[in-house]
Amino acid sequence: MRERQTAPIWMLQAFTALGLAFLGIFAWIFLKEYFAEWRTRQAEFRTVELRIKDPHALSIAPPADGLRQIWLADLDRVDRCTTCHLGADDPDFAKAAEPFRTHAGDWLRTHRPDRFGCTVCHGGQGEATSYRAAAHQPLPHWPEPMRSPELMEANCGACHRERSPRDVAWLSEGRRAIAVSNCVACHDIPGFRAEEIRAPRLESVGYKVRPDWIGRWLKDPKAYLPHSRMPNFRLTPEEIAALSVFLLSQTAVAPLDSSPFDWKKADPVRGKAVFGDARCTTCHSIEGRGGTLGPELTKVGSKVRRDWLFGFLKDPFRDHPETLMVHYRLSDAQIGDLAAYLTEELVDPDAPPSPPEVGYLDPKGVEAGRAVFVKHACYSCHRFPGMEKLGKIGPGLTSVGDRLVEKSDFAGQPIAETLPNWLFVKLLTPDRLAPPSRMPTFNFSDETAAAITVALLSIRGKDLPASRVTSEPEPAPYRPQGPFGALVERYRCLSCHQIRGSGGTLATVPLDRIGSQLQRDYLWSYLQNPSAVRVSVEERMPHFNLTHAEATTLADYLSTVFIDDSLEQPLVMDATGAIRGQHLFERLGCRGCHIVGGKGGYVGPDLSGSAKRLKPGWVMAWLQKPQQWKPGTVQPDYGLKPDDAQALTAYIMSLSTAPERPR
Amino acid sequence: MGVGREAWRSIFLVGWPQTDKDRAAATISSLFLHVHPAKVRRESLRFSYSLGLGLISLYMLLVLVVTGVALMLYYTPYPREAYRSMKDLEFVVTFGPVLRNLHRWSAHGMVIVVFLHMCRVFFTGAYKAPRQFNWVVGVGLLVLTLVLSFTGYLLPWDQLSFWAITVGANIAAYAPVVGDSVKYLLLGGHVIGSGALLRFYVLHCVILPGVALMLVALHVWRVRKDGGLAVPLTARPASVEETPAGRFPASTKSYGLMAVVDRPALPVTEMETDDELMTWPHLLMRELLLLLVVLVALHAVALMFNAPLEEMANPTLTPNPAKAPWYFLGLQELVHFSALIGGVVVPGLLVVALVLVPFVDRRPHGVGVWFAPERRVANAVFGSVAGVLVILTIIGTYFRGPNWHWVWPWLG
Repeated sequence: MRERQTAPIWMLQAFTALGLAFLGIFAWIFLKEYFAEWRTRQAEFRTVELRIKDPHALSIAPPADGLRQIWLADLDRVDRCTTCHLGADDPDFAKAAEPFRTHAGDWLRTHRPDRFGCTVCHGGQGEATSYRAAAHQPLPHWPEPMRSPELMEANCGACHRERSPRDVAWLSEGRRAIAVSNCVACHDIPGFRAEEIRAPRLESVGYKVRPDWIGRWLKDPKAYLPHSRMPNFRLTPEEIAALSVFLLSQTAVAPLDSSPFDWKKADPVRGKAVFGDARCTTCHSIEGRGGTLGPELTKVGSKVRRDWLFGFLKDPFRDHPETLMVHYRLSDAQIGDLAAYLTEELVDPDAPPSPPEVGYLDPKGVEAGRAVFVKHACYSCHRFPGMEKLGKIGPGLTSVGDRLVEKSDFAGQPIAETLPNWLFVKLLTPDRLAPPSRMPTFNFSDETAAAITVALLSIRGKDLPASRVTSEPEPAPYRPQGPFGALVERYRCLSCHQIRGSGGTLATVPLDRIGSQLQRDYLWSYLQNPSAVRVSVEERMPHFNLTHAEATTLADYLSTVFIDDSLEQPLVMDATGAIRGQHLFERLGCRGCHIVGGKGGYVGPDLSGSAKRLKPGWVMAWLQKPQQWKPGTVQPDYGLKPDDAQALTAYIMSLSTAPERPR
Repeated sequence: MGVGREAWRSIFLVGWPQTDKDRAAATISSLFLHVHPAKVRRESLRFSYSLGLGLISLYMLLVLVVTGVALMLYYTPYPREAYRSMKDLEFVVTFGPVLRNLHRWSAHGMVIVVFLHMCRVFFTGAYKAPRQFNWVVGVGLLVLTLVLSFTGYLLPWDQLSFWAITVGANIAAYAPVVGDSVKYLLLGGHVIGSGALLRFYVLHCVILPGVALMLVALHVWRVRKDGGLAVPLTARPASVEETPAGRFPASTKSYGLMAVVDRPALPVTEMETDDELMTWPHLLMRELLLLLVVLVALHAVALMFNAPLEEMANPTLTPNPAKAPWYFLGLQELVHFSALIGGVVVPGLLVVALVLVPFVDRRPHGVGVWFAPERRVANAVFGSVAGVLVILTIIGTYFRGPNWHWVWPWLG
């Protein structure tokens, strides 16, 4: 019995085997730790360093050894990329192989690594210490893989929230396209204010347009008019028919009565002259020539009714209170001529003959049309009475850059299931992705869609500290009051000009200090008969046919309120200075761009007659620092010394002969 | 030499045992070994009888305690930091990944092994007198194991843990009347946030392990108290049969454990039968061997498979499907059909039934053997319930996709 009370031999063997296995596994664990990827990289770096660096310097500097990290406390980020990317901030490694190569460009100068780390711009998993885990390539369960070069700018946009940040063309283009396409009408998008675009109001559209035009337009607005901002809603013929009935039933405000006018007297030829005189092409284009502020007019004759046009030209604000259109002082005869020109000359050659007007609109059809109108959220852009409370139809995009896409989102499209791909395809063909979308087709080019994708990817849900974000201040809307305000309103000055950051961007001159730039009398006469100051600029200030009293109000106000006192310093100007200035003028080659005495270039304003036009303080200031007054101007900064600038000013202010005025 | 021997004796009281008497003394006089009897029955040592499941559970618990304490050194129970801790363990803490993997896989393994242990005890009828109470303690330990695993599940603070706990907490909230209060108490709020994380942390690292260690001590002690592993009636020494339950042999001068053990009050050296072997070395060697097997297996698994870690928890982004921890997926599957049945009735009845088992089935037959013919009905009932639960869990784990729709896992 006794021998049974000791351990059997198989048990000792098992002990030995398992003990060895345990030792083996432990050794494995140790070796795995010892040969960690980052340790291997650092050993490699030390050999590369020996080749590149001066051995003396190396003997002083501590060797690369151990984990390195950049901790960004305010962003709650830890980046350990520099554990392997050891040469990123050292110019000596410009030709070394990755991961040791010097960082490209001078980005590290503008974005110091100790303040920005790496993943803020590049994406990826900063906490990781291996190539794979750092998400150089997409990695499961890490939402932010490293950005590919074409999408990098999305990360710029997370902090740089201006509309067009510097050096990031794709992002700027994307944000511009978002604004121009009025995406905010249907989606909440941070950084984009609602109603940046005003689409025509439709409550009186029944008076305005021809019935057959609505159908042709709704079928595909961009096919009808390539520059149209209205996208294609992919309406069915039934929906188009219903919408037509609904729109034709909209007769809230009747147009001004044109029946006293005798259309037989209207002359399209004279109308064309009025069109030219009033400089309508500053805002409206015909066959590709002209401005884009107002509607394109190539086929307007097949679109609007003549009677409505007459009333509109007589008082544009009557049924379109928010229009950018100027209220001209035209006589009924001029308006008739103009309307005749627009409706008879500018017609769509492909338009089928107008069907006879239908007098009666079926109320059921109107209701069906209203339903279509609501279904496609037409009210988002075309504000419509009674529909103000209807919300935005599209999902909010406040954290669209964080959206997780699933396989099912792609509806079988054969593309990699990533968010950028999904956004790109969605923008190009909203109808091809799941779930079936009511988002209209904008006919974006591939480039625009890519740019918008970048801009959308830059919109992240996470709040950044204010110190990290750059943005442009939102201008407080400027609304002038009193008689001046009424005139600004009537002549829609702010459709083109800017005052205190509000208004359009068409005009070259913001009006904030116009009173210090131009003499009052010149302003007064210019307002009544605007001449072309810059010959080469196509957008010209229209002829408003202001009354004297109106011009006086405007000129007085502009030259007393819109003043910059720093420009109003008296200057001593004598003949010797003017002569020296003339030499300077010729020597600096000013004539290359400016006309003086009938000779010179067409880029800058004609300087003949500056004595009656400009104010000397302004000329002096402008010559010294043109970029400061107008960023982006082509006027060169010659770095003029004050006395040179003064001499040049004296010369320019001595030019008293008025230029010939091209009409 | 003399100093070494002196130190050895001062610690272990006895020298390296050379005789059976010494071996018995060494077993009895050691704090760690005295839960063993000096001798064990040959049947109890057979691996095919117990499968070592209880001991494996104990070893896994020890591994969990050791790795858990080590993990606590790197862990901060606050949402963003908790997730950061996981990343640090993964990337920069020396042996961090192994530590975390060991803890994770041991925890999952323990749930499985504890469940299997319960099945073994049932199928061998080992819950019968005098072991009824220990069965109840065991049921408590099963529940405790699940709750420990559940509370630990939240701590990594990733999407997987966050939504699993959300689902789990919602299952708890289905309980009538008290459900919402229980959920509120558990989460320290209505949703899972930093309060819930702190509560789960304290529960997981302090309260529940404390309770578990006490219950485990009780459980193990009762195994010893109830006469070791259950053996068939025929194999029991007659003296045990004759000892009425609850009557202890009169104590003499010894106040040691031997005095109150429900075994014949005979000197161990006189019980020299063919059926019994010395604990030292037979049982101890087997226990140590099993410990090595468990450690090797766990380390191998920890080296080969990384513990999952998904994106950081995002309360605004619900994964589809959101699944509870896998051991509750059977319940979630039932909840899918009826919240009340899956969330309250079934788990409640299961626990109550388990507790009542030894008091309902009081016939002393079929103890100590697998699938005793006398216990056909009981085993069939238990087997089907356990089988259904396992099948439901497998369905919930592998066959349920988005919106809890049926999917074939191999078509994924």
